[in-house]
Amino acid sequence: MNQPMVQIRDLTRIYRQGDIEVVALDQITLDIVEGDFLALMGPSGSGKSTLLHIIAGIDRPTTGQCIVRDVDVATLSETALADWRNRHVGFVFQTFNLIPVLTALENVEIPLLLTSLSPRERRLHAETALELVGLTDRMHHLPRQLSGGQEQRVAIARALVTDPTLLVADEPTGNLDAHSASDVLNLLATLNRDAGKTIILVTHDPKAAAHARHTVHLEKGELLDAISAAPSP
Amino acid sequence: MNIPGFVIRNALRNKRRLILTVLSVALSLFLFTVLQTALNELTQPAVSEDSALRLIVRHRVSLANVLPVKYQSRLEQIPGVEICSKFTWFGGVYIDEKNFFPQFACEADKIARLFSEAVFDPKQMADFVQDKAGCVVGIKTMRRFGWKIGDKITLKGTLWECDPELTIRAVYREGIDETDLFFHHEYFDELTGDLGLTGTFWIKAKNAEAIPDLVERIDRSFRNSDAETKTETERAFQLEFVSMFGNIKTLVGSISLVIVFTMILVTASTMSMAIRERMREIAILKAVGFDGVQLLGLILSESFGLSMAGGFIGCFGAWLLFNHINVYELTDGFFIKFEVTPHILAGGMMVAAILGAASCVMPAYNTIRMNIVEGLKELD
Repeated sequence: MNQPMVQIRDLTRIYRQGDIEVVALDQITLDIVEGDFLALMGPSGSGKSTLLHIIAGIDRPTTGQCIVRDVDVATLSETALADWRNRHVGFVFQTFNLIPVLTALENVEIPLLLTSLSPRERRLHAETALELVGLTDRMHHLPRQLSGGQEQRVAIARALVTDPTLLVADEPTGNLDAHSASDVLNLLATLNRDAGKTIILVTHDPKAAAHARHTVHLEKGELLDAISAAPSP
Repeated sequence: MNIPGFVIRNALRNKRRLILTVLSVALSLFLFTVLQTALNELTQPAVSEDSALRLIVRHRVSLANVLPVKYQSRLEQIPGVEICSKFTWFGGVYIDEKNFFPQFACEADKIARLFSEAVFDPKQMADFVQDKAGCVVGIKTMRRFGWKIGDKITLKGTLWECDPELTIRAVYREGIDETDLFFHHEYFDELTGDLGLTGTFWIKAKNAEAIPDLVERIDRSFRNSDAETKTETERAFQLEFVSMFGNIKTLVGSISLVIVFTMILVTASTMSMAIRERMREIAILKAVGFDGVQLLGLILSESFGLSMAGGFIGCFGAWLLFNHINVYELTDGFFIKFEVTPHILAGGMMVAAILGAASCVMPAYNTIRMNIVEGLKELD
């Protein structure tokens, strides 16, 4: 069996709104193995996005540990965490979040601006990532000249371009029509199957979760079940 | 794509706002440059080797008080004095008040030696000295009114109850202010009924080393007299003359400060708007690995670039404009020249740089502190 890439131990996240405390995650313990494609499911407010944010290093737990490849993410300084995210995490969001004034190729290049790659190497990497998501013919288009599905594929290419350890996707099909959603989910499944990418998908859509290898359910900040194998899509 | 390219693309995303902001910075820095140049012209008159030798002896109380002519013989006996001339500001009107130019009654035979850096025609000067009602005029004033040698002009007295009728006998150029008119003090005395008074005495020292001692000796000579004197260098005198208009330095400084402060607010507001529109993009940049310092660099570059572009247009626009227009004519002779010096240009660009940095402090601080998850929520 593969070693756990992500080890979550007794993880709690509490938000404070004035005097009121909201427990978003309550004593979560979870392992995610390398090469997994895990779907985090649950209703709105169940804490699935919060868990994803903590694993991806854009939020910090109140208590507990989140260890990714032997690094306790919560203990890193802001600068070290930013560098860690650049090297280890690729993000895909519900709204595609492309920079509107940059072309698809330039959007994909953004994470590489922080690396020591030469401009030529950056361009080659970005072209390869766009080729991987099937957008070679759209690389010089601005986001407004692309369909929603194409924009999300550019976002996936941007997430992949640094060859990250983890690919995290927060409701990536939420803004897409059924056809585009299916394309995006198939692409994620292919990246997991063929490229061995470890993917964590947050969704409340069972059809989307069906593309994952495993599914876990959260409700009111608690893990409802152990990791279960998802049915084939 | 590279980081500078990314900054430029961001700056250009709202072209109308960019143009308006750059123009407002440009206009403000144009104004700043004009004010600084005006202040420079008023308070930093050029100092030549000859002018450094000149001293002005005036009444200790104020320039409005006059001195007895009888002081002249005592002044001429003080060691170190080479020339001493009576010198009275006439302040008359030529046809209309707007035709202002400086007029002085002085000793005709001493003018050329007193202002030896100016170029006088010896023959014309001989004619001027010979003619008691003659005058010598600077080339700029000659051109301004289209005068020529031999023309007769009448100055209407405002400070003094007389209207001298003068014949232009000589023209001078270069070295000193080319707008002045000098006429015989003898003629002035005659017209005013020989009051035995002079506005000031202008002295030329034998050498620069003698000046500190000379200043002390002159004022000591007339201490405890009815009209105590105050002796000062030409430069100090000019500065004091300017100060009669009020504390110009403070006034111009205050206006400049208000301009700069207003521009900081305008630019900060623009940068805040630009950043607020991009909160989700900034959150994404943070998510993909940009840290606070790198984001600060991006924001600072954009703000700095915007201010420097405005500064360049404003400051160098002023430089270009005043190099090509006749400020002397435009201001009816108030400003003889209006030189936007490299020092002023550098000051303007420095203000632009400070503007760029200061205006992005708050937006950048908020960006650095922004929680990524909160930033991402902005879009949902």
